[in-house]
Amino acid sequence: MSLLRYHLRKLFMIFKNEVLVLPSRIVVCIFFILLLIWPLIFEDPYAMRIVILASIFAIFAASWDLLSGFTGQINFGHALFFGVGAYGAAILNRQTGMPPWGSIPLGALIAVLAGLIVGIPCLRLRGTYLALTTLAFPIILASLIMTAPEYTGGEMGMSGLARLAMSRTANYYIVVVTMLVLVTVMWKITDSRMGIIFHAIREDELAVKAAGINTTMYKLIAFSLSGFFAGISGGLYAHFMRIAGPSTLEVSMSFQVVIWCVFGGMVTIWGPVGAVFILFPLLEFLRMWPEWRELMFALIVLIILLYMPGGLLPWVRNKIETECPRCKIRNVAFRSSCRVCAAEMK
Amino acid sequence: MKMIRRIMVILLMCAVALIVGGSAWAGDTIKIGIIGPMQFVQGKGHWNGATLAAEEINAKGGINVGGKKMKVELIQSDSNEFLNVTDATNAMELLMTKEKVDFVLGGFRTEAVLAMQDIAMEHKKIFIGCGAAHPELCTRVAENYNTYKYFFRGTPFNSKLLVKTSFLHLKFVGDILKSQLDIPALKVAIVAEKAMWADPMVTATEGFLPKIGMEVAGIWRPSAVATDLTAELKAIQSSGAQMIYTIFSSSVGIPFARQCGELKIPAVQVGINVEAQKDGFYEATQGMGNYVFTMNTYCRGVEYNDLTAPFVESYVKRFGETPPYTADTYAALVYGLAPAIEQAGTLDADKLVKVMEVGEHKVPSGVVKYMVDEQGRQLHDLTWGPGYLTSLGVQWQNGKPVGVWPNKWKATPESQEVTYKGIADYKIPPWVIEAYKKK
Amino acid sequence: MAFDILITSLINGSTYAMLAIGFSLIFGVARIVNIAHTAFYMVAAYCIYFTTYRLGFNPISAMLAAIVFVAFLGWIVYLIFIRPIREHEQAVLIGTIALAIALQELMLIAFTGDYRTVPALIKGFAQIGHAKVFYQQILTFGSVFVVLGLMRLFLMKTKLGLAIRATAQDRETANLMGMDESRVAMMAVIISVGLAGVTGAIIVPLTTIEPFMWNHPLIMMMAVVVLGGMGSIKGSFYASFILGFAEALVVFLVPAGAFLKGAVALSIMIIVLLIRPAGLFGVQFEEER
Repeated sequence: MSLLRYHLRKLFMIFKNEVLVLPSRIVVCIFFILLLIWPLIFEDPYAMRIVILASIFAIFAASWDLLSGFTGQINFGHALFFGVGAYGAAILNRQTGMPPWGSIPLGALIAVLAGLIVGIPCLRLRGTYLALTTLAFPIILASLIMTAPEYTGGEMGMSGLARLAMSRTANYYIVVVTMLVLVTVMWKITDSRMGIIFHAIREDELAVKAAGINTTMYKLIAFSLSGFFAGISGGLYAHFMRIAGPSTLEVSMSFQVVIWCVFGGMVTIWGPVGAVFILFPLLEFLRMWPEWRELMFALIVLIILLYMPGGLLPWVRNKIETECPRCKIRNVAFRSSCRVCAAEMK
Repeated sequence: MKMIRRIMVILLMCAVALIVGGSAWAGDTIKIGIIGPMQFVQGKGHWNGATLAAEEINAKGGINVGGKKMKVELIQSDSNEFLNVTDATNAMELLMTKEKVDFVLGGFRTEAVLAMQDIAMEHKKIFIGCGAAHPELCTRVAENYNTYKYFFRGTPFNSKLLVKTSFLHLKFVGDILKSQLDIPALKVAIVAEKAMWADPMVTATEGFLPKIGMEVAGIWRPSAVATDLTAELKAIQSSGAQMIYTIFSSSVGIPFARQCGELKIPAVQVGINVEAQKDGFYEATQGMGNYVFTMNTYCRGVEYNDLTAPFVESYVKRFGETPPYTADTYAALVYGLAPAIEQAGTLDADKLVKVMEVGEHKVPSGVVKYMVDEQGRQLHDLTWGPGYLTSLGVQWQNGKPVGVWPNKWKATPESQEVTYKGIADYKIPPWVIEAYKKK
Repeated sequence: MAFDILITSLINGSTYAMLAIGFSLIFGVARIVNIAHTAFYMVAAYCIYFTTYRLGFNPISAMLAAIVFVAFLGWIVYLIFIRPIREHEQAVLIGTIALAIALQELMLIAFTGDYRTVPALIKGFAQIGHAKVFYQQILTFGSVFVVLGLMRLFLMKTKLGLAIRATAQDRETANLMGMDESRVAMMAVIISVGLAGVTGAIIVPLTTIEPFMWNHPLIMMMAVVVLGGMGSIKGSFYASFILGFAEALVVFLVPAGAFLKGAVALSIMIIVLLIRPAGLFGVQFEEER
């Protein structure tokens, strides 16, 4: 009993000293809690649908950031992984009757394979060459899908897939919890030793090589990891929409993910996730003016970039938090001295 | 001038929306969602047809639901389905849960309609599809009746029947060519856009042509949005085809017809060309689309029955164009849904389904009767044939669409000849006559 | 048939060449991957439609008006949206994507999604051998060479051209030599967008105008630029004819697979890049300091 009390106390102390001191961490906590209790407060299936789709796309956007943000391998054809995941799950589900909990991870593994197929030839390319070459892959795959309509459903897609769960609320929890777990995992990966190597590859690949690190392997790992997470989101999408169609491979899908990530702030993981949860509902909100919707969306993105070219969320974070000049620990903006080393903040 | 007219129409629509919307507060209304790509012709057709229907019904005081008169309220929803399928499903969900509509009409792109169908069925709301032709939409009803019974096809009849009809057109035009130009064996080039709905049509055509003594000169599958078809056209000309069987639903229909006319390829175009169904086709092809023949639902001056002319004329008067087939939301509302509601005396979807799937009713384009499949299961698909729906063959003659089929058509040798009121003769393009008369 | 393939590939190729050269120029000088490049081409097409049908211009003045308008539009847009964030590569990237979407939506609102066409400058077709070629196609082909020749003269013989080449080679040093880098970049943007306008003006009678007409050429243009080597105008020129030829070959030899022509062209691009990672004539840019 006292052991339990000790642990509870410790947990509370961690919460108080590590979480409550920084507004960004409080925001993340509120975000987690809000998402988890949302259906208990609002039973609106439409709002739930928007959150579900936003969660699916949040995984997708974060997976792009993992690859392109961290290792700097700008991928303009990220829809490939999403589409392969969606089609993989759909084919498995339709042909073998595999339930979603089996078809989605297996579909994601197929997406990993796609990641390797794209990644290996692209190792030699860099920068804009890489970006524009990767753009081609989903387009080629979409054409291939059209050549074999008897297996892929052609432009109609594969419909009538199994539901994730019977009720909307169950769907909601499956998707949202998956999203929270996967995003945390991705964030942890980028925070680990591997993440630091990814960072380094982006900044100076030659130096990393010189340090005796096999950059090729790490780049391929980045491609497969990113493919895996994007594949999961594709599979979730297919089973939630109950259809996997060529629209998952469209160029606009690839562009969309770039918009989310850059808008939310690259190389953060949380930036793209936040951006999806801002931009996706925004697009729904703009339904009030159906004709002007996309135009307003584009203009909002343009104007925000004009003032915050590094992304919206990092900008906000820098406004409410400052870095200690001595120990580089983050502090609330209004503190006059650092919370750790007590150095004076300026 | 056009601009002013457009503004007038918009103002008028706003006023109507205000009146309709305003009256919504006054009493009980039946809410009907109209979903479609509202920035495009197809969606505008959905909306315009429905607007006309709602005005007509409300002018009569509304629909009698179990002794209580209820007005109709339309809710427009832009599905944006050409660009974003996710968006389309969100729009559907919004209609279902926020607007709480009683019925939904519309939809166009098959991939999107399949996804929207699932949502409507989940909410157990009647969804009348007015645009997608794929049979899958209705086989779902037969295979899983309890889930999908709320779906009905409003227009067009399914793509298998579309093929059947266009074969009749092919034979009809082929016979004219044979007799007037004295060509013993006709060669046909099949040009179909690369799309799933066209695939079975291409295979079917290949099998069908030899049966009526025609030869396949080749098959071309350009992309649905191709803009330069000179390569294909040159190849078609060197293949020696006298007829081109077109299967187009997208923009490719315009450059194909335009370049074909401009290059004076000595072959006549028959088949389905959705762009050629639109009033703007002649202008869009710079006049080169003359003599193009396509299947169509409505054509000014042609009457299937006594309902056709009033509908087409009031539509033209109101919106300045011939109704596209997606404007059959009108027929689905006025002649399908409204009488069914009055007969059932309720808005309950399950009871309405039972009423709607039996019996038949006259609509401006013929008679609607819902089919059953070979095993006797309800399909909620439209019956085709003389006495039911047949659609028209329309040819562009001197810048105007003219109905040319059915002209003394016999469905079977012993059946009665069918010719609708206002049908004219088919004309062979002069350059085709010239190319083959010399010999 | 061989002759048909040749003609078709030359005409396809010349369109891509026009677009790719403008795109290449703006990338070489200003390091901007301008996704909105073909969107300007679309705007030019609508401009011509608008001026000929609504304002009653004759075709030539409509074309000139369109080119001037588009170049001006490009300049304004660059000043407002792109220049302030030029240092942030990623922001510029999605800035141009958002710009393309905005232009597309503007056209959609102004002209609806209906397909439109404009008449050819010279109507009719010529009979070369037994192949039929539109005069408009020959005109397109000819004007591509004229424009490219002028571009070459401009880049080689004028002071501004020299500055543009210098900046493309090494931005820092050019700056140190006293060239106003941001002015040169701005000129490159105007010329590049102007070229997109010219392409639109020449091609428009051959295509259908719709708000989404920028998508397909965008992909092909990027493939051409990558295949030829980024920033290399010569490379873009050759690459556009290679891809144009590949497309024509697919259409003629595999008629039932005509829709695959884009995919085949893109696959060729990928294969070439695997062998030469910097494209046919490209040089890997040294990492900028």
